[in-house]
Amino acid sequence: MSTPSAKLSSRWTTYVVVGAIAIIATWLLAIQGAAEHNYRPALSVLLGALFWTSVLIGMLMLTMITRVFDAGWAPVIRRTWEFMIGALPFVLLLSVVPLAFIPSFRHLLWEWTDASHLLPSGHEVGHDPILLAKNWFLNPTFFLIRIALYVVFFGAITWALRRFSFQQDKERDANLTHRMHAISAVGIPASAIVLTMLAFDCLMALSYHWFSTMYGVWFFSLSIRLALATTVIVTYRLSNGGWLDGILNQAHRHVLGCLMLAFTVFWAYISFSQYFLIYTANIPEETFWYNIREFNPITGLKSDWWGVSMYLIFGFFFLPFLSLLFYRSKIIAGRLLTIAGIIFVGGIFDLWFNAVPRQINQAGAPEGFVVSPFLSGYLALDLLAIFGFGALVIGWSLRSSTKAETIPIHDPRILESINYHE
Amino acid sequence: MPTDSDVSTAMNERNESIHGVACTFRSPSDVFHAAEKVRDAGWKIWDVHTPFPIHGMDQAMGLPRSKVPRLTLLGGVTGFITGCLLTWYMNSYDYPLVVGGKPYWSPIFPFPVMYECTILFAAFGTFFGQFILNRLPRHHHPLFDLPQFARTSDDTFMIVLEARDKNFHLDESRNFLLSLGGQEITVIRE
Repeated sequence: MSTPSAKLSSRWTTYVVVGAIAIIATWLLAIQGAAEHNYRPALSVLLGALFWTSVLIGMLMLTMITRVFDAGWAPVIRRTWEFMIGALPFVLLLSVVPLAFIPSFRHLLWEWTDASHLLPSGHEVGHDPILLAKNWFLNPTFFLIRIALYVVFFGAITWALRRFSFQQDKERDANLTHRMHAISAVGIPASAIVLTMLAFDCLMALSYHWFSTMYGVWFFSLSIRLALATTVIVTYRLSNGGWLDGILNQAHRHVLGCLMLAFTVFWAYISFSQYFLIYTANIPEETFWYNIREFNPITGLKSDWWGVSMYLIFGFFFLPFLSLLFYRSKIIAGRLLTIAGIIFVGGIFDLWFNAVPRQINQAGAPEGFVVSPFLSGYLALDLLAIFGFGALVIGWSLRSSTKAETIPIHDPRILESINYHE
Repeated sequence: MPTDSDVSTAMNERNESIHGVACTFRSPSDVFHAAEKVRDAGWKIWDVHTPFPIHGMDQAMGLPRSKVPRLTLLGGVTGFITGCLLTWYMNSYDYPLVVGGKPYWSPIFPFPVMYECTILFAAFGTFFGQFILNRLPRHHHPLFDLPQFARTSDDTFMIVLEARDKNFHLDESRNFLLSLGGQEITVIRE
């Protein structure tokens, strides 16, 4: 067993160990931060994990969508998705679960769980009428039950989809395809609800006064974009000295490119309509969320978050959108890889934009608060966390690749997939 | 219909009244390989008719990508600019009106208009673009006079070399099609 593909798979321990070291390092800094009552290092752990949660939820949705639609092109790529989604429950267990269940972290990140936390107005969270009105949903007990349910749900559905798919390699049974078809048909709406709630709890609830009904759809569109970009990057590597060498062809790249174009537009549509509705309605309860992402509350001038939002418009939408319009961008491996890289990096900026800005009390400031800045040393910690969870995900999926065939050799559509044609 | 023999003697001096030469094939692989040879011989104005799409035929015929997407992009850009001008002219220039405390014109509030104009004009570009590039509408085609042509929607494959191509020479083209393994060769009059 010394093929390049087997060699790649055998390196899984290295990836897992490197990932574990990086995750432990970010956790140690988060613990130190918590001792100093600093929420920011704990947010790095959350961000790193949510980035990969987003990627893996996107891959889970793509796995189920291609199952339901019997996509002929998908089987050879879907097996790689199945390898990767196995890491989803572990990513949540190593980040969101301890952050939510350990009170000191929960109180730092989700301020509404700490009744004695002071608002910029000088009132305590426990007496905030806005929170009291939402108390049936935003209360610590229900919050923790929900977090636990997310892990159980994603653990169960990824386990089932992987198990039956790997079983088909040995049993050559087409009925397993029908069974996974049924699981996916139920799994898509169920996952849509769970990922919406996850986005509400882990991201939107970081700023609990604010609410957006588009938020779940935004998280879904970001997830699919990141999943497709990661798929392009991973399959590029796997088709150059991995198990997709000689299998991945121009038509597969074309499909992935078309989907990236479609979801780039979809992401822009969702993000813009969220902004547009809040801009048009002009209700202070909603507009403050965008205001702290545009203005410095002390000077009233544009802050560095405004620069991030412009980057999202031009670097995360227009650049990939305009370049993906061209047919050649979708079929030439190097160009598609570059665009996937742009989307991958832009996704990090989108998460920063959504998770990091928050009002921090400061006596003497005109409105009683300042906004956490974009440019700070913590960005490096965020990237370390993303790197750590990424190495863990890659390592864990390489480990999966030693347990099953690297392409689903007895999938009823495997020949159609290998010979896929534009 | 003229028979094969009287066409070959009578048509050379009346080349302009000939549409081209049609040739039938029995199987997809025959017509596929014949198409590759026609492409390699440098033909530009010719076509293949098959009862169903044959994968890879575009490459076998050496067809370039369709030019319709360029017209779609042109339409889209025109539509976007139209949407910008339309909203600017109405809300900010011709009849300035404050609505909901928003600026007379900004790229945000009229974006749905700009976006819908982009889509509408891109659709126009696509629809009318393919009409123009396909030279539609066209009510009759010389091929319709061929009895075999109806069978290309059933069980026959056909290659048509058109007289407008610079490679076209009646006798040579017929012999060329015969050498490719064609079954039945017919000269099509205009």
